[in-house]
Amino acid sequence: MEDRIIKFEGVSKKFCKDLKRSMYYGVKDIAKNIFGIQANTEILRYDEFWALDDVSFEVEKGETLGIIGPNGAGKTTILKLIAGILYPDKGRVEVDGKVGSLIEIGAGFHPNLTGRENIYVNGAILGMSKKEIDRKINDIIEFADIGDFINSPVKYYSAGMYVRLGFSIAVHSEPDILLVDEVLAVGDEEFQRRCAAPKIRELLNKGITIVFVSHNLGLIQTICKKTMWVEEGIVKKMGSSGDIISQYLLSFEKFPDTAIISHYGPIPISKDAEIIDYGILDSKGEQINIVPIGEETVIFIKVKVNKKLEYPHFGLTIKNENREVIYHTNTSWQNVKTGVFKEGKVVNVGFKQKIILGEGNYTVSFAVSYCDGISFCDWKDEILNFKVISRKKIEGILDLNSEIILREN
Amino acid sequence: MKKVLIPEGLVREGIFKSFKEMVEELASSRELIIRLFIRDFLARYKQSFLGIGWIIIMPVIIIGTFIFMNKSGVLNIGETSIPYPAFALLGLTIYQLFSTGLTATTNSLVNAGSMVVKINFPKESLIISSIAHSIFDFIVRIVLVILVFLFYKIVPSYRAILFPFLLIPLIFLTVGLGFILSLLNCIVRDTTNVVSLLTSFLLFLTPVLYSEPKGMLKNFTRYNIISPLINAPREIVINGYISKSNEYIVATIISFFIFLFCWRFFHLVEPKIAERV
Repeated sequence: MEDRIIKFEGVSKKFCKDLKRSMYYGVKDIAKNIFGIQANTEILRYDEFWALDDVSFEVEKGETLGIIGPNGAGKTTILKLIAGILYPDKGRVEVDGKVGSLIEIGAGFHPNLTGRENIYVNGAILGMSKKEIDRKINDIIEFADIGDFINSPVKYYSAGMYVRLGFSIAVHSEPDILLVDEVLAVGDEEFQRRCAAPKIRELLNKGITIVFVSHNLGLIQTICKKTMWVEEGIVKKMGSSGDIISQYLLSFEKFPDTAIISHYGPIPISKDAEIIDYGILDSKGEQINIVPIGEETVIFIKVKVNKKLEYPHFGLTIKNENREVIYHTNTSWQNVKTGVFKEGKVVNVGFKQKIILGEGNYTVSFAVSYCDGISFCDWKDEILNFKVISRKKIEGILDLNSEIILREN
Repeated sequence: MKKVLIPEGLVREGIFKSFKEMVEELASSRELIIRLFIRDFLARYKQSFLGIGWIIIMPVIIIGTFIFMNKSGVLNIGETSIPYPAFALLGLTIYQLFSTGLTATTNSLVNAGSMVVKINFPKESLIISSIAHSIFDFIVRIVLVILVFLFYKIVPSYRAILFPFLLIPLIFLTVGLGFILSLLNCIVRDTTNVVSLLTSFLLFLTPVLYSEPKGMLKNFTRYNIISPLINAPREIVINGYISKSNEYIVATIISFFIFLFCWRFFHLVEPKIAERV
């Protein structure tokens, strides 16, 4: 079996800016087709433009492709072509499998019907049989997490509930290809993190293919291995997500600088906040750079905020002499809500821990990211050095400080 | 189940091959049709007091008006073999199968709204579920007709069991026209108004509420294929025979061809229209 599940070959799609003219062109083309004349779709008529121009790419089975780009770049058009809603004007689209689309969540929901009734309708639209829905309805309701509201008309739902229900139905319809268009952005962050992302990972483990359009670059980076950057109807770049996303961010004026990260490459930084000071304090609060094993330390950074920041994240990475990452943590992973910081403020962030590392030289890197966790204000790579010493003999990369128990039988 | 989309891909299919595909696609979407039917049914009556009562109120008012006009001598209804209210109500009920069906199918694509542009599913199911509504309304109205027949103690011919089968051509004609009109409605919204204008006009130009006309209208009726499609089922109930069976057969054949042509047309053209909605 071929592993290619989606294939675009020189695909172009045009749209018309004017509604009436668009209809007129449509009727004209149809009339030509009926009389067996090939409508010339390859040229632009007045008011028409290429929404997609000569787009080629392939997606393999089980892959996740992220699509990023500014508004109006043609991202949704690509999804609609995959879904079979649109036909290309040039080129060829091959899709091998059942497509589940989340292009607009809750499309087909009837506002007056209850959540439960809408599950049946929407499920049927997505190609589920009644039996299948009967079997899955409890899972769908549970995953959507809307409680008693399931028996209320969906017009009384909050935007988040609406999205959760729609998402839940779509993922339970077991498609081969799942198209996700920016919908998760509507759902609250909690739902994204707790439910959507794990569910998507679970689907990925089952071998489903996902095409994901989002402005949430953090989500793209966590979910997608490959990312395609689309702009003005053409594919600008395609490659590994980290690479493409940082290049994409660099294209904005907002990120004038780059930090070169040793294990990663260049990362665009905005300097909306800057790390102005850093260091290691021992248990007495004295700054040190030789740390005895077992010492209670605080590794701190001082961050100057140059532009108002909402819920940024602070993180540190400790690497050993071989530049291997020994430890990384950040405020996001530790569920620390950081707060809103006004321009000109200086934020002190301390990471308090007992050093149980083995003897040797270490470096610390610091980063300040926006609340998305993926675009950065500042990143200081391997900026702080410290040495760990031991008062007794140990070997290995850690000192677990074992308690040794002896007993005679 | 590999799908290949190329420009004009649909147009290049063979006629017979694609008819087979169309039938298969329709068969596979029967659950969807049922769901859409239930959805619209529930949505229609959820916020309504009289509920399905509305289905009956319309014909009662129209026929009441005709009886009133006839009694006042404004309108000459002509000779009918059974009491006029029963005659007219049966005719009107059949006519409304056509007129409400046409209105519902015409609006079906536009009413589906963003669903059409955002989800890929056989759009025929929207048309079919709309006509199913008209058939449901029809069945409710037939109950009213039966009550009126009982009231006047009219005993229909035993051939009345053929009645449902004689309606089939009318339904096919309605769906066929609905296919075209629903697409047209996507392009110009005036279609809705034209259809409602046309169906109320046709009601007066077709011998539904009156018997066989004379003069100019008679010539028009001869070419009006709706007329035999309505009168044949009515005659089979009242008289047990069809007086103009030739006309009925011709109208039936025309209806089937219109249906097949329009379905095919819909199938070819719908993706092109849907993207422009």
